[in-house]
Amino acid sequence: MWKIDLESSKWVTFIVFWLFKNVSCNSVAQKIYVELNNTVPCVRLLNATHQIGCQSSISGDTGVIHVLESEADLEWPLSKGPNPPYMVLLESSLFTKSIMMKMKNASSRVAGVVVVPKTSPREFSPHTTCPNENTGRRISNLAHCNQTVWNPRGNGLSYEEFDFPVFSLKEDNETEVIKQCYFDHNRVVNGSGPQYPLCAMQLFSHMFAVTDTATCMRRSNIDFSSSPVMVCDPLGGYNVWAFIRPYNSTAFGHKENESVVIAAARLDSRAFFLQDSTGAEGSVSGFVTLLAAAQALRQATQEAPPTRNILFAFFHGEVFDYIGSSRMVYNMKNNKFVIDLDNVHSILEIGQVKTLRSGSNLFLHSDPVSRRNNTVDDEVTNLVNNLHSSTAGLNFSFVESGFSQPLPPSSFQRFLRARAIPGIVLADHQTAFNNRYYESFYDNAAHLNLTYPSNLSPEEQLEFVTDTAKSLTEVATAVARALFKQAGGNDSQVNNINADPKTVTQMLYGFLVRSNNSWFQAVMAPELKDVLREHSATTDANALTYLVQYLLANLTGTATNLTQSQCKKPDELPNESTYVYSYLWVQGMVPPNSTQRESFCVRTAVRRVMAVSPAFDLGDYVSKEYSTWTESQRKFIKARIFLVASRDLEMMTLGVGVAVLFTSLLVTYFVSTKADVLFSAVREPANAAY
Amino acid sequence: MNLERLPNEEKLTLCRKYYLGGFAFLPFLWLVNVVWFFKEAFVKPTYTEQLQIKTYVKRSGLGLLLWVAVLTTWITIFQHFRAEWGEVGDYLSFTIPLGIP
Repeated sequence: MWKIDLESSKWVTFIVFWLFKNVSCNSVAQKIYVELNNTVPCVRLLNATHQIGCQSSISGDTGVIHVLESEADLEWPLSKGPNPPYMVLLESSLFTKSIMMKMKNASSRVAGVVVVPKTSPREFSPHTTCPNENTGRRISNLAHCNQTVWNPRGNGLSYEEFDFPVFSLKEDNETEVIKQCYFDHNRVVNGSGPQYPLCAMQLFSHMFAVTDTATCMRRSNIDFSSSPVMVCDPLGGYNVWAFIRPYNSTAFGHKENESVVIAAARLDSRAFFLQDSTGAEGSVSGFVTLLAAAQALRQATQEAPPTRNILFAFFHGEVFDYIGSSRMVYNMKNNKFVIDLDNVHSILEIGQVKTLRSGSNLFLHSDPVSRRNNTVDDEVTNLVNNLHSSTAGLNFSFVESGFSQPLPPSSFQRFLRARAIPGIVLADHQTAFNNRYYESFYDNAAHLNLTYPSNLSPEEQLEFVTDTAKSLTEVATAVARALFKQAGGNDSQVNNINADPKTVTQMLYGFLVRSNNSWFQAVMAPELKDVLREHSATTDANALTYLVQYLLANLTGTATNLTQSQCKKPDELPNESTYVYSYLWVQGMVPPNSTQRESFCVRTAVRRVMAVSPAFDLGDYVSKEYSTWTESQRKFIKARIFLVASRDLEMMTLGVGVAVLFTSLLVTYFVSTKADVLFSAVREPANAAY
Repeated sequence: MNLERLPNEEKLTLCRKYYLGGFAFLPFLWLVNVVWFFKEAFVKPTYTEQLQIKTYVKRSGLGLLLWVAVLTTWITIFQHFRAEWGEVGDYLSFTIPLGIP
């Protein structure tokens, strides 16, 4: 028999318990909290003067869940309910400005708001009525929408400040769990309040930045702190542009005898929840049309290059005071771009183009102030004529909007702010926007009438040419022909320029329905294929700009025979130059009989360049000239539900605990004073140990 | 350190050291002086050095009160007005709280 002494028995116990520990583990936290994983928070944005968005307290905001049934039901959380603060759960039809403002005014009783997106309301635009009114074209009497209110349905909800968190739930299962919890515990029975324990929700969306951009940039840059905390980040994205005849990209500034026609479109959109942006009519329709036009022009411009160059420019960040276009204009003015403003001949911008049905019109908007100058007016008239003649044989026509009508919000306004350049903005609205969901989450595929027959698989849906795609194709054809004529191209070639409806419908499907499809995978680079996730590419700026870059590259560039290593270092080859072109290695399609993709190298003139507002380069955080928008940083975003006990129970538990503490202190004191009486055991003779 | 075992002259030197040290912007030395030597100065029966120890303790107490008043005033003002001072407030702060003005 071994003698198990104290030492080795300790080791044995330790090993036994360690083995058991690795086998099973039960977390108390999991039994209490139900985590909600699929949520989108409303974040705080700051500009030179204001902060907008939502803020939670640093340890989260907890409130008793209340599912709002109607606007009259708001009485319960705001005044009648006996257990404030409340966490109000709204369906999307109740997410209106009046309800949100009432809750904002009673924010001591409202701990937060959770929005469940369901059916689209009839119209909803959380943007302002006069988008980008301070950073567009400088006009004295026409500014601030004096003459035309562009977005009359706008309620300005996106630009309000809330001091409680507002979240949006993305997943139906989680909504069901919350509603079940509410019905089990929180229902009002016969007018009297519900009994504890109640179902509560806690939302964490603590934002670091406050006050305005100048404050948060200053706090991010303070020197003497040992580990400086970045408090906010400037908003910005990437511009994507391509010349049909590219220049040496290191030669900045004016190019002698070069005249460029700019074809512009905006890429971005927003919603109340920044990550929810879809922008089907607001932006996708415009840039898809321009991409299709670029593809249509490829053949003709290679066979018979026109006298003027054409620059396809896709601007990002336009919704936040024209970040992308102001960056390009700034670069042009300061000789940091391959051409400058003197080289720009005219501008054609594609705005919101939702064609309702065949035979409807698209409107041409121009700037009345710059047209007072006769040369500019002549050029604009010339451009309008080119556009009119481009619709010959197509199912729609262009109509000029009223002469005295100002220019709608568009990237062209930033160019006009710098110089009077002739230009036209194409749009589907004559005066105010037709878009009922401008800059809102509901501006999605359904709003553009993208409907597919129900029995198609995703791949078949990708190829199916919808009516929307057909009408956008016609617009793209007209735009391409007009650009060709405007650039001085040969008139005989014009009728050969046609946009491809298959490309248009594939792009619409990819940007608005499902971005992880086979065509998008084929045009992207291998290292970027994870960028395409299940939900729409428009929500993520990175994904969107990469997609547009690679699409433009594939549609206007040439496939080469270079191998992958040559594609990474093409300068070693005699005829290739990275100063003029960029070389992209794309995945390619999977041929029907194999599993290996046929990847290849595309030589293209497309560039994707970071676009941050010039105000941050200049360090002028209170700029009235450029966009000063920043987004607050935050540590984590979390939401969870659990049951709460009544305040009385909590206080009683605390009281009992304190009482036990004092009792034990008293008992210990008495025992220690009477120790000699209580512990009068036989005294062992004290060993003289010292 | 047990003051019981020290001879009176050493108590006096100790008290003087703490008193003089407090002038180097170290009010805690005065606090220690007051607390430690209070019994010695005012409670114990008289001995030769007690008078001087008494003066040192009284002056330390005065200096301590002055420091407490100044610091309390400054801290109250700073905590109250830091947000309004904007840039100056940020440059005076070592850690700036996140998410509140």
